[in-house]
Amino acid sequence: MKIDTIIRHFREAFRSLTRNNWMTFAAVSAVSVTLLIFGIFLVFAFNISYMAAELDKQVAIRASLAPSITDDQIDDIQSQIKKDPQVKNVSFVSKEEGLKTMKQQWGDDKEFLEGLEKDNPLPDMLEIYAADPQKTEALAEKIKKNYPNNVEQVDYGEGVSDRILDLSGWVRNIVLIFGLGLAVLAAFLISNTIKLTIFARRREIEIMRLVGASNWFIRWPFFIEGSVIGVLGAMVPITVVLLGYNGLLGILDADKAYSFFKLLGMWPLSLYVAGITTLLGILIGVWGSLISIRRFLRT
Amino acid sequence: MIEMHDVYKVYANGVKALNGINTKIDQGEFVYVVGPSGAGKSTFIRLMYREEKPTHGVILINGVNVKRVRDWKIPYLRRNIGVVFQDYKLLSNLTAYENVAFAMEAVEAPKRKIRRRVQEVLELVGLYDRMHARPSQLSGGEQQRVSIARAMVNNPNFLIADEPTGNLDPENSWDIMYLLEEINARGTTVVMATHNREIVNTMRKRVIAIEQGVIVRDEQGGEYGYED
Repeated sequence: MKIDTIIRHFREAFRSLTRNNWMTFAAVSAVSVTLLIFGIFLVFAFNISYMAAELDKQVAIRASLAPSITDDQIDDIQSQIKKDPQVKNVSFVSKEEGLKTMKQQWGDDKEFLEGLEKDNPLPDMLEIYAADPQKTEALAEKIKKNYPNNVEQVDYGEGVSDRILDLSGWVRNIVLIFGLGLAVLAAFLISNTIKLTIFARRREIEIMRLVGASNWFIRWPFFIEGSVIGVLGAMVPITVVLLGYNGLLGILDADKAYSFFKLLGMWPLSLYVAGITTLLGILIGVWGSLISIRRFLRT
Repeated sequence: MIEMHDVYKVYANGVKALNGINTKIDQGEFVYVVGPSGAGKSTFIRLMYREEKPTHGVILINGVNVKRVRDWKIPYLRRNIGVVFQDYKLLSNLTAYENVAFAMEAVEAPKRKIRRRVQEVLELVGLYDRMHARPSQLSGGEQQRVSIARAMVNNPNFLIADEPTGNLDPENSWDIMYLLEEINARGTTVVMATHNREIVNTMRKRVIAIEQGVIVRDEQGGEYGYED
């Protein structure tokens, strides 16, 4: 396509956007509402999958070792467990490492843990990951039974992440169905906006067809118009969602009681949300313009 | 060359507009299409620039079967056919120059070529001095000349005109006819549907008369042949 043609297409698109400014506003608003819901869902979905992944990482079996145990015995047990095909990974966590991790998790409240280095109350541990997370429980029981003397206590996550993933699956489906309905509505409004443009320019289009303008030459301005509506419609929800999320992070951070409830940081989440939302906006816009121009170009 | 073989056209509402048309128009001919209102003249014309598809039969334009041409290729077919209407179909917000240039922009002609060619055709139709006037500032005859300039600007082989003098007074009508004759003399095939008896009887050309969807008369240098 020639540069003159591209400039022309953009000029035409912007001209009709400003000419039908109220319809443009309505269509942009419809896209905004759709994308706002979608954006909130997106932030939610990203966090859920992040949390589930974090939790999955934590679904380790922690076998606390008896204080009397020797280094040789530890190596022995570790290599035995490692041979079990049900086991994905075994690692040794010394009590010093355990304390360090704990301090990290407690963050600003770590002063409670000051001074424990000298008299560390934590046990040495083996961290064991099951090959199949679903069978963590059975594996934990087996370890407990096999090493009654050397392993004092066995802990594991007890399916927390599964339940969260189940719940998030439901929420996701509901939001998706709802969102799809809204997207159809938005596309419909966009197609109506474009129809007005087509109506205003029907003589021009008629002449273009008459003198042999290609279908794409006729379509392009409408495509651009739809995309611009989509992009404009994405801007408000992106801003609202990201500001809102930033605020939420601030509140959660300020209230230390929730500090175990870790959310994703602003970066690179903002980039994903902005990118995906804008893309969806453009998609809805182009879809809407396609609906309205298709019938018009049929011969 | 335009060929029609056994062409029928039935519209979706059941109206039978054409009932078996067979004809051949050679390159460089000048043809009047005459007949009473509703006889099928307009349908005949519209089939030529593929605004309508025949229900049955074959239409060949320069050997290409227009019924077989895919939708997206129709624009390229049309670039070879200029069309002129009774109501000019000019864009009121553009000047004469811009109206003509629009047809070249639509086919993505290079800018420099557009300027040269548009001035050339405006000179041909005698509106070089009026190129910056808008349609509302031009007379009917001048507007029709702009529309002819637009039809000719992409150098088509065929110029198809549906009642080009229908809205014009006799003087302006003759100007348009001299212009069409000039265009024809330069090698463009002209097919013109008309109700203008005086013109047909004075400027003797080939006459195709259509009644009730069939060709009832086809003669070189023929007369208009109707009393209206």
